Amino acid sequence: MLDVRGLTVTLPTETVGITALDGISFDVKPGEVLGIVGESGAGKSIAGAAIIDLLVPPLKRTAGAITLAGERIDHLDAQAMRKVRGRRIGYVFQDPMTSLNPVLTVGRQLIDTMRAHLDITRGMARRKAAEWLDRVGLPNPRETLARYPHELSGGMRQRVVIALALCADPVLLIADEPTTALDVSVQAHILQLLRDLHEESGISMILITHDLGVVSKMADRVAVFYAGRVAEISTVTELFEDPRHPYAEGLLQATPRPSLTGRGHVIQQIPGVMPALGKIPGGCAFHPRCSRASEACRTRVPELREEGGRSYSCFHPIGGKAQ
Amino acid sequence: MTAPDLLVIDDLSKIFKRPRSLADRLSGRPASGVRAVSHVDLTIRRGETLGLVGESGCGKSTLARTIAGLIAPTEGSLRFVSSQATGRPPRVQMIFQDPYSSLNGRWKIADIVAEPIRIHRLRSGKADIRRRVDELLEHVGLSSSDAQKYPHEFSGGQRQRISIARALAGEPEFLILDEPTSALDLSVQAQILNLLRSLQDELHLTSLFITHNLAVVQVMADRIGVMYLGQVVELAGRKEIFAAPRHPYTRLLIDAAPGMDVHDRSLHPIAGDLPNPAAPPSGCRFHTRCPFATELCRTSEPPQTVAPGGGIYRCHFDLDLSHLPDTGLPADHRHPAVAR
Amino acid sequence: MSMSGTVPRRSQRRPTRLWRSIRHASGPWIAAVILALLAAYAFVVPLFSVDPFSLAGMSILDSLLPPRWMAGGDPAHWLGTDDQGRDMVLALAYGLRTSISVGVLSVLIGLVVGGTLGLIAGFVGGWADTLIMRAADVQLAYPALLLAMIIDGVVRAIVGGQRSVFAAVTIVVISIGFAFWVQYARTIRSSVMVERDLDYVSAARISGRSEIGIVFLHILPNVMAPLFVIATINLGIAIITEATLSFLGIGIPLTYPSLGMLIRTGNNFLQSGDWWIAAWPCILLVIFVVAVNVVGDHLRDVFNPRLKGRG
Repeated sequence: MLDVRGLTVTLPTETVGITALDGISFDVKPGEVLGIVGESGAGKSIAGAAIIDLLVPPLKRTAGAITLAGERIDHLDAQAMRKVRGRRIGYVFQDPMTSLNPVLTVGRQLIDTMRAHLDITRGMARRKAAEWLDRVGLPNPRETLARYPHELSGGMRQRVVIALALCADPVLLIADEPTTALDVSVQAHILQLLRDLHEESGISMILITHDLGVVSKMADRVAVFYAGRVAEISTVTELFEDPRHPYAEGLLQATPRPSLTGRGHVIQQIPGVMPALGKIPGGCAFHPRCSRASEACRTRVPELREEGGRSYSCFHPIGGKAQ
Repeated sequence: MTAPDLLVIDDLSKIFKRPRSLADRLSGRPASGVRAVSHVDLTIRRGETLGLVGESGCGKSTLARTIAGLIAPTEGSLRFVSSQATGRPPRVQMIFQDPYSSLNGRWKIADIVAEPIRIHRLRSGKADIRRRVDELLEHVGLSSSDAQKYPHEFSGGQRQRISIARALAGEPEFLILDEPTSALDLSVQAQILNLLRSLQDELHLTSLFITHNLAVVQVMADRIGVMYLGQVVELAGRKEIFAAPRHPYTRLLIDAAPGMDVHDRSLHPIAGDLPNPAAPPSGCRFHTRCPFATELCRTSEPPQTVAPGGGIYRCHFDLDLSHLPDTGLPADHRHPAVAR
Repeated sequence: MSMSGTVPRRSQRRPTRLWRSIRHASGPWIAAVILALLAAYAFVVPLFSVDPFSLAGMSILDSLLPPRWMAGGDPAHWLGTDDQGRDMVLALAYGLRTSISVGVLSVLIGLVVGGTLGLIAGFVGGWADTLIMRAADVQLAYPALLLAMIIDGVVRAIVGGQRSVFAAVTIVVISIGFAFWVQYARTIRSSVMVERDLDYVSAARISGRSEIGIVFLHILPNVMAPLFVIATINLGIAIITEATLSFLGIGIPLTYPSLGMLIRTGNNFLQSGDWWIAAWPCILLVIFVVAVNVVGDHLRDVFNPRLKGRG
């Protein structure tokens, strides 16, 4: 459904361009949920924004081919891109407070979005807007149409944002940390909603998150990002049970897991921190934090290679073939 | 044998009053307010870590700030039991959630860490203080050369280490940790949690650990309290509360957090939304979202019940039926109605 | 990921920011150089010359000479002389010195008075806040110039006719200073209200730091930057206000003329074609105030947290 090849995003500075995304490649199959995980600075949100050409300046997409349903979308002009955004690709942002217009009613925002992308009358848009609010689980959809965002709770607002992202019937939904700002009990609601909508419509989905728990519940395949590169792409079962990249394994072990063993167990920690933009070390970006690093890791950048249906970029993968 | 108490909280409430409008004053209406902390009874024993979990708005941070003395309680009392050796109340320190606003950006790290030492005169003389600061920085995984830098030169995780060093500098007998790792990335969180755990073991600190993350509290705490809308709805030992929670909210909260099991992909949302804390539901505050709620729950507020194991819970019923003979429940104690 | 890795947070105060931004904006840089040169002119020239406004400095024989490039100009007097035969280059230096001194002193008074009141209002809150901010609201209903005139008039009435030069200058300085305290008070109050609730203040309080200690050691250093920005911009306004007061004849005494007083004097000779007496102080005033404002505007941009972006 979506194919991203060699996506590169740079942050121009006075002297040089800092690479924020370094030739990232991944794809999303029709009807699939691809999880993108990584810590802050990994570039996962930048990747999402780069696909729909909504990078925060001065960040710029400098290379890469993005193909949506067989059609290149990386060289479209602003007007054509606006038709892709919202119409063909829906986007859910992390913060439900800021992704809704505070001075317009929920109904107005839904109706405007639909009228901008679909050829329907105002009355029909109105009827569909109420249907959408019902679908995303808001009580009294007709009355909610007339409400303003601030009159809704955080969870309800995120439901509205999801309705807005989906109301023009896109083929791909990108959800960037959709539950991070929400409480545990509300988070499960939103995840359930995304899952239901996904199962109903068969839409492809990219779920960007830092939460491995969320990924384990939602994703079919997972791309692990580190310092602007892809470390590993595997199915969710492969990743959680048999990770190849040492960073992926490190992340899994660093997560405190609820278990009855309790305090006895020591959390495995990855030493050091994710390098800041512009300070990414040469060779494999993970080598200073990696216990398996060798001379090759310090000098050469491992390429993302495919092996048995999964890909990883590592010279010394865990349990896999060395490059 | 249990350790002696360090802190006794008795029927503590904190009400944040809204300013009365002129119309309210003229009509003599009393000030309305949010009871952020409502009739909390707690004791913290010497040497233990008490964990408090709950969702946003449950009052856990307000409780922490009240204990820290930053805000005054509206009702009830809060009493530190002074140690016999010194006869003075124990020194308290606190570690905050936001690694950015918790350090004064205009101060050098050396001065930030030395502040509690200077105020409490724990060391005297420049050289002694300097040596102590270096020692503390190294203790939390930084280097003594960092002392001359400013906070903006450090990452979030490093700033949290500086906060920890500052707290330890005050040689606290009681440490309050308010979501100390919530703003951090996973790999950094693991580092900080491990650091805090080794400090707990080394220094025998008594601490209150506040978080919304059940997995984190399970790793850090000896006993765990669960808060909902200002009340502690259940308090029990770490093992008991996860193995056999007695309050439905505890059970549902544990289930709602997505685990890492890729084979069981079921999600367990808690029905409904969090009620407005300014107008909590009548009777049991959880009845609007509780799958077991009865008429009794809607009308009468459940008393605080002491469980056989020493824990407490606020529920008319007891979810843990394991002590009854022949309940026919599966081994994981999960109530059939909860395991949807 | 969030952009926190690339955009500096508000609390990441880099001392180098200021310098970097000054290097990259040539306008403010030029203005700062002009200010430095003018200040040097105003304060260095009087050290090496006879005060033109003393009896020894006057020379009636050289009165009303035009600038040297004009017909009748004297090579010794570049910008001409005034009606008392004072050299304009010298007179301007003395005038500018008075203007800058009065401006800086009155800004300092406004800063101290407004800063203190704002600090109290923001930190103590409650009735102190209400009282101070209501007073500020009332004061804002009057234009600063009018207020300075009122204060000046009231003080003069109290002190009476026999006043020394020192007293007269003090009155002007205080009048202008008090006319501007509101801005400082409001700015510092809102900054203090943000800072006092931040965790580093809580941490200091838990460590047992006294409230006074918190104010002076923790909060004050974090709220001063915007105050200096306003002070810079206000310096321009204060100098203009003083010039206006002097022009109206209620400012500085004739023996210590400011630029405003020079303009007032020169005004009498405009009709007779001796334009330079009024024109030079006017031009100098404009250059100085514009330069101050350019620098002040730039400082405001540098310190404006909204322009810096959030993490």
